[in-house]
Amino acid sequence: MSNKKFFEERYAKLGWKFKYVKPKQAIRINTMNIAEEKVVNRLEALKIKLEKVPFLEHGYWVHHSEFSLGATSEYLLGLYSIQEAAAQIPATLFTELKNKVVLDACAAPGGKTVQLADLMQNTGVIIALDVKKERLTAMANHLERCHVKNTIIYNLDARHASKLKLKFDCILLDVPCSGNFSTDKQWFRKRTIKDIERNAKLQREIMTEAAKILKDDGEMIYSTCSLEPEENELNINWAIENLNLKVAKIDCYGENTSTKIFGKQLDNQIENCRRIWPGKTQGFFVCKLKKVA
Amino acid sequence: MMKPLEDFLSHFNAKIFLDETFLVKKRNRYFLWNEALKNVIARNFFYAGLYLGKMRKGRFFPSFNLLKMIGKTKANKVVVDKKTEWLFICGRDIFKRGIKKVKGSREKGSYVLILNMKDECLGYGKILHNLNKTSERVVIKNILDIGDFLRRESK
Repeated sequence: MSNKKFFEERYAKLGWKFKYVKPKQAIRINTMNIAEEKVVNRLEALKIKLEKVPFLEHGYWVHHSEFSLGATSEYLLGLYSIQEAAAQIPATLFTELKNKVVLDACAAPGGKTVQLADLMQNTGVIIALDVKKERLTAMANHLERCHVKNTIIYNLDARHASKLKLKFDCILLDVPCSGNFSTDKQWFRKRTIKDIERNAKLQREIMTEAAKILKDDGEMIYSTCSLEPEENELNINWAIENLNLKVAKIDCYGENTSTKIFGKQLDNQIENCRRIWPGKTQGFFVCKLKKVA
Repeated sequence: MMKPLEDFLSHFNAKIFLDETFLVKKRNRYFLWNEALKNVIARNFFYAGLYLGKMRKGRFFPSFNLLKMIGKTKANKVVVDKKTEWLFICGRDIFKRGIKKVKGSREKGSYVLILNMKDECLGYGKILHNLNKTSERVVIKNILDIGDFLRRESK
């Protein structure tokens, strides 16, 4: 059986019929730097066709642009960021961010870090970690372009985040994952179930560390752009059983997840997670975790 | 620690109050913190707070955060038209005809911030010919512009 067929059959078992999709390009307005309508007017004056993403507060799909969206004055001045629509969801799910101490545990290249800073209006503190030193310069450039001033970057593996000796109000775990075919044409050629299991193990290790440094009343958002249950529902089920975490209800774009995966019955809280199949956006999975008091 | 920053600001006849308690030098790079950051930071950070610029080979290279801060003060500034804005961020120098407004020094050798017509800072340059004189020549040399973010990516 081909690799593609293997994964297609898995998706069918999860209730989704495979189809190729190409996610639309999207931007997010950095409201800490300018009023949203001013940027939209300026971009429309440049003949860039925008459509408000209905499930995002500051997100727009780009239908047409005569030039690269990464080369306009408005982009270089940090007035907007290029960020896929589904990827804009996780940071918006925290109940309150202003003046909080926030961890972005796997932060590079920094798109969600800038979004957190924007939601915080540059108040409080963001600690942004990434294990790969070579990715930090790009993240620093991103922060400089968007005039972020509440962020500290460390070259640190998220699995060792407790070395910072801090407790966090909010933790964003946009963990390294296997990705999905809608953003990677070669995905079916290069991914195997072994890769997925290896990534799922790494994700559990990161969650374990994050659970230790989350304040008792803190919130953790877990997200991946993987479609594979091992990295999503099954990992969250494992976290419920092993890390004293519960899954909180969220109100966002996507489908409620199934509590029965490949014949295995999962904890009922799993239905509070959201799964987004590729279509209007790329494939995505997101949920909110809280510590059990 | 303040000297390179003060020297740079003086090029624009600009004054900014920078609280030295929150000014940090990490190797050759300068950052501005605040109370909240200072309370949680560890020594081995890579980047922290507002990046102000760096020293390289005895010269100070400002960040766009610092230029934006200077832009809010009474500094030497030149406002350029839309076409010149685009050419400037592509790394080009400025012709007299592209200048809409001048604030502060017009003298040859002065440093000026370059702003677009919405008063947003695009970078800075050095006046090559007195701006009072009529000229069809390049009058401001581009030293740094926001297109630098794209050039950094391709390095």
